[in-house]
Amino acid sequence: MVSQGPLLLFAFLALLAGGMAGLRWGRCWLISTVAGAAAALAAGIWVLATRAVWEWHGPCAIGGEIPVFRLDGVAALFLVLLAVLGAAATIYSHEYWSEERHPRSACLGRVWWNFLLICMGLVLLCANGLHFLIAWELFAVSSYFLITLERSRLEARRAGWLYLAASHAGTLCLFAFFALLAARTGSWQLGPLRDHAELKPLFWVALVGFGLKAGMFPLHIWLPSAHASAPSHVSAILSGIAIKMGIYGLVRFTSWLPTPEAAGWVVAALGMVSAVLGVAFALGQHDLKRLLAYHSVENIGIILLGLGFAMIAQTYGGASWGRLALAGGLLHVWNHGLFKCLLFLGAGSVLHATGTRRMSRLGGLWRAMPWTAGLFALGAAAISALPPLNGLISEWLVYLGLFGAAGSRGVAAWAAIPGAILLAVTGALALACFVKVVAVVFLGAPRSPAAERARECGIWMRGPMLALAGACVVIGLAPILFWPALSSAVAAWAPGWAADAAPVPLRALGTFHLALVVVAGAASLALWHRARRNGLTRGPTWGCGYAAPTPRMQYTAGSFAGIITEWFAWILRPERRRHDPAGLFPRNAADHERTPETVLERVVEPCGRMIMACSTAVRRLQHGRIQAYILYLVIGLAVLAMLAFAGGHR
Amino acid sequence: MIPLLLIPVKLAAWLMLAPLLPGIINKVKAWVAGRRGPPLLQVYYDLARLWQKEVVLSNLASPGLIVGAAVAWVALVCAAVLLPLGPSDSAVGFSGDALLFIYLLALSRFFAAGAALEAGTAFGGMGAAREVSYAVLSEVAIIAALLTFALQSGSVSLNQMLAPSAGPGAVLLAGGLFTVLLAENCRVPFDDPNTHLELTMIHEAMILDHSGPPMAAALHGAAVKLLLFSVLLAQAILPLGELAWGRGLALLAGMVVVITVGVGLVESLLARLAFRRVPLLLTTAFLLCLFALLTAWKGTAS
Repeated sequence: MVSQGPLLLFAFLALLAGGMAGLRWGRCWLISTVAGAAAALAAGIWVLATRAVWEWHGPCAIGGEIPVFRLDGVAALFLVLLAVLGAAATIYSHEYWSEERHPRSACLGRVWWNFLLICMGLVLLCANGLHFLIAWELFAVSSYFLITLERSRLEARRAGWLYLAASHAGTLCLFAFFALLAARTGSWQLGPLRDHAELKPLFWVALVGFGLKAGMFPLHIWLPSAHASAPSHVSAILSGIAIKMGIYGLVRFTSWLPTPEAAGWVVAALGMVSAVLGVAFALGQHDLKRLLAYHSVENIGIILLGLGFAMIAQTYGGASWGRLALAGGLLHVWNHGLFKCLLFLGAGSVLHATGTRRMSRLGGLWRAMPWTAGLFALGAAAISALPPLNGLISEWLVYLGLFGAAGSRGVAAWAAIPGAILLAVTGALALACFVKVVAVVFLGAPRSPAAERARECGIWMRGPMLALAGACVVIGLAPILFWPALSSAVAAWAPGWAADAAPVPLRALGTFHLALVVVAGAASLALWHRARRNGLTRGPTWGCGYAAPTPRMQYTAGSFAGIITEWFAWILRPERRRHDPAGLFPRNAADHERTPETVLERVVEPCGRMIMACSTAVRRLQHGRIQAYILYLVIGLAVLAMLAFAGGHR
Repeated sequence: MIPLLLIPVKLAAWLMLAPLLPGIINKVKAWVAGRRGPPLLQVYYDLARLWQKEVVLSNLASPGLIVGAAVAWVALVCAAVLLPLGPSDSAVGFSGDALLFIYLLALSRFFAAGAALEAGTAFGGMGAAREVSYAVLSEVAIIAALLTFALQSGSVSLNQMLAPSAGPGAVLLAGGLFTVLLAENCRVPFDDPNTHLELTMIHEAMILDHSGPPMAAALHGAAVKLLLFSVLLAQAILPLGELAWGRGLALLAGMVVVITVGVGLVESLLARLAFRRVPLLLTTAFLLCLFALLTAWKGTAS
C-alpha cells in the first residue's frame, strides 16, 4: 500500500523531467522517459500481483475538487501496457525521429510525447470526474500535436484536423456523461454505483464518447487517416494504447455503473460489425499504414465482443463463460497493443528505408531488411491469431466464452452463435490480409528503385521491435503466467465472478504451443539440411516461357485481395477509373482503384454539407437591410398578437 | 500412460497411411474411365523420389520457402494429432482444442500461401489468393459444424465432441463437411489436381516453384490433410467413439475408404465449377452446417 505511490510519483517526475530535457538533450530524455515507464510498469505489476487497490487523496483542491487517484486491477492492466509500449516506442523514436532527420520537429515532438504519456497515465489514475475530463482533454490535444508533427504535409494537417474534430465530438459526449453523473449523484467522485438504477441511460452517452476514441465501426472515421499520416512511433502508440483509452472508459464504467439490459447486446453487435468490416476495409487498402489502422478497428471489435458478452453474462447470469469472454477481451487489449505496436514500428522501418507507404512500390525487402521482415512476419502471424503466438490465446478465450454462451442454450446463445461464426470470418479474413501484406512488401522482387535501395534499420529501432516480438512469443508459449493478472482485472470488474474460478486449460494450450515450436523448428532444420545435402541451386522464377518479365508484373496487393473485396463491394464501394488500350498500336493503358472511406465520404461529409447548405440558406435572412429587419419585427409582432388573441380566452 | 505411448503409434499411422488416399482416388478415377491407372502406391514412390532430388530455388526466394513448407506440414500433422481415432481418444486433448484445430489449419495455410508467394510469380499469387479467400468460407462452415458438436456434447474438446453421432442433423452435416473436404483439399469441383492450365489452378499453382524435399513436404501435407478431413467427417456422422476398439477402428477405416472412393467418383463424374460459382457452393456447405446446428439446438433442447 505504501510503495505504489512513490513509484507513480517517480514515474510522473521522470516523465516530466524527461519532457523538459527533451528540448535540448536527446539522451537525457531517453533515459528519463524509459526510467519513468519502468517505474509505472512496476507499480502496475504490483497491483496486479497483490490485488491491493492503491488510493491517494490530494491535499488540496484543484478546480474545486479534491483530486483522488486510484489504481485497481482494471487500471493497472492498462497502465502496464502503457508503460511497455511507451518505453518501446520511445527508444524507437530516438533513431526514427532523430534530430538529424527532423531538426524542426524532433525536440518539440519529445515534449508532446512525454506530455501524452503523462496524460494517458492520469486518465487511468483519476477517480474524480472533473479531473478525468481534464486529463482526457489534455491527452486528446497532445495526440493532435503529435499527429501533426510534420506540419508541412497537407495530409498530416488534414488528418490532425479530422482527429481533433472527432475527438472533440467524443469529449462533448463525455462532458454530458460526467455532468449528468455528477448532477444525479451529487458528487464528482467516481466509484462503484451499481445500485443506482436511474444511472442506466447514461451508458449510451458514454458508449458514443468512448467509442469514438476507441474507433469502433461507424465511429472510426478519424482513425485511418490519423494513424496513416502520423509519424510511425506515434501511430504505434495511438493504435497500441491511445485507442485503448476508449476501451478503458467502457470497461471502467460498465463495471462501476449499472447498464441497461440491451447494453451488452449492442456492445457485442458493435464488436461483430467492427471486427468484420474493419478487416474488410483493411483488405481494400493499398497504403501499408492505413491498412494496419483498419486492423485496429477489427481488433477493437474483438475486444468489444468479449466485453459485450461479459455484460450479457452479467445480465443473464453466466459467470462461467462471461469470465472467459472478459478475460479474452482484456488479454486482447494487451495482445493487440503488443503486436500492433510491433507492426507499426515495422511499417515505420519500411517507410524509413524506402520513403513510401504504397505497397505497389515495395517488394523483396527481406533481402535488405531481414530483421524487419522476420519481425513483421511474426507480428502478422500473431495478429492473424495463429498458434503458437499471443493473438490466439486471447481469441481462444473469447471463443471459449462464446461456446459457453451457446452451450447454455439460453437467450445469450442467440448472440453467441453469430458471434463465434463472425469471429471465425474475421480470423480467416485477417489471415488473408496479412499474407497479402507480408508477401507484397517483403517477398518477391522489388517493385521500385526505392525498394531496391532499402537498408536495414539501426539497433535502436530493431531493439524495441525485438522486445515486443519477444513479449508476443512469451504470452503465446506461457499464457498461464499471465492468468493471475487477468483474473485480478476480472475480479476488479465483477467482484462476484472470481469466486467460482474454474481452471482454464491454458497450461495445456501453452504446452501444446511449446511442442509445436520445437517440432516446427526441428522440421524446418531437417528440411533445410536435406535440401542442402541434395544440392541447392538457384534459378529464375518460372515465367511460363515469357521472355521479359518485370517486377511490376508480380501479383499486386489489389489483385490478391480482389476476390474478397468483391464480396464486400456493397460496403467498400471501390472507385475504379479505367483507360483501356485501344487501336492497333495502343500507347498506354491505366487502371486506378481506390477504396474510399465509405462512412466518412458517403455519410458524414454529405450530412456536413447538408447542414452547411441549410445554414447558408438561413444566413440569407441576415443581410444588413434595416427595412427588412423592421419587416421581420412587424411580422413577428403580428404573429405574437394573433397567438395572444387566439389563446386569450383561456 | 498408455495414451501417451500411443502417440508415436498413431503418428506413424497418420504419416504412413495418408499417401494411400490419393492413390485410391486415382485408382477409382482410372477404373471409372476404363484405364488401368497408376499403382496404388504411386504417391509413396513420388515422395521417395522427391526426397532424393535436388532443390532448385527461385532467385527471389528467401529461406522462408523451405521453412514455410516445413511449418505448413507440421501444422497439419499437429492438427491430426488432436483428432481422436474412433474409440481411441487423442492423448493431448483438452477443453478448447477444437478451436486450436481450426487455427492449426490456418497456420498451415498462412505458411503454405507465404511459401507460394516467395518466388514472386503471378501464378503463386493467384493460387494463394484463391486458397486464402475460399478458406474464409470453408472455415465458417467448419466452425458451424464445431458449434453443432459443442451443442450436442456440451463440451469444447474434440474427444467428447466427436464421440456421439451427429443425431438428426447427420445428413446435413455430412453434405456440408464433404463439400468443405473437397474445397479444402482442392479437389473437383473446386480445383482439378490434374489440370495443366496454370490460370485455373489453386493448390498446384501454389507449389509451382517448389522442388525436391519441400515439394515432398507439400505433397505429403496435402495427403495428410485429405486423411484429416476424411477422419473428421467419418467421426462427425458416426458414433465411433462409443464402439468397442476393434469395431470402432475397422468402421473408421472403412468409412475413410468410402469417403475417398466418393471423392474419386465425384472427380470422375463432375466437371470443375467456374470460379464465380465456387463461393456459392461453399456458402451452401455453410448453410447445411448451419441447419445442422439449428437441428442440434432444437432437436435436443427438450
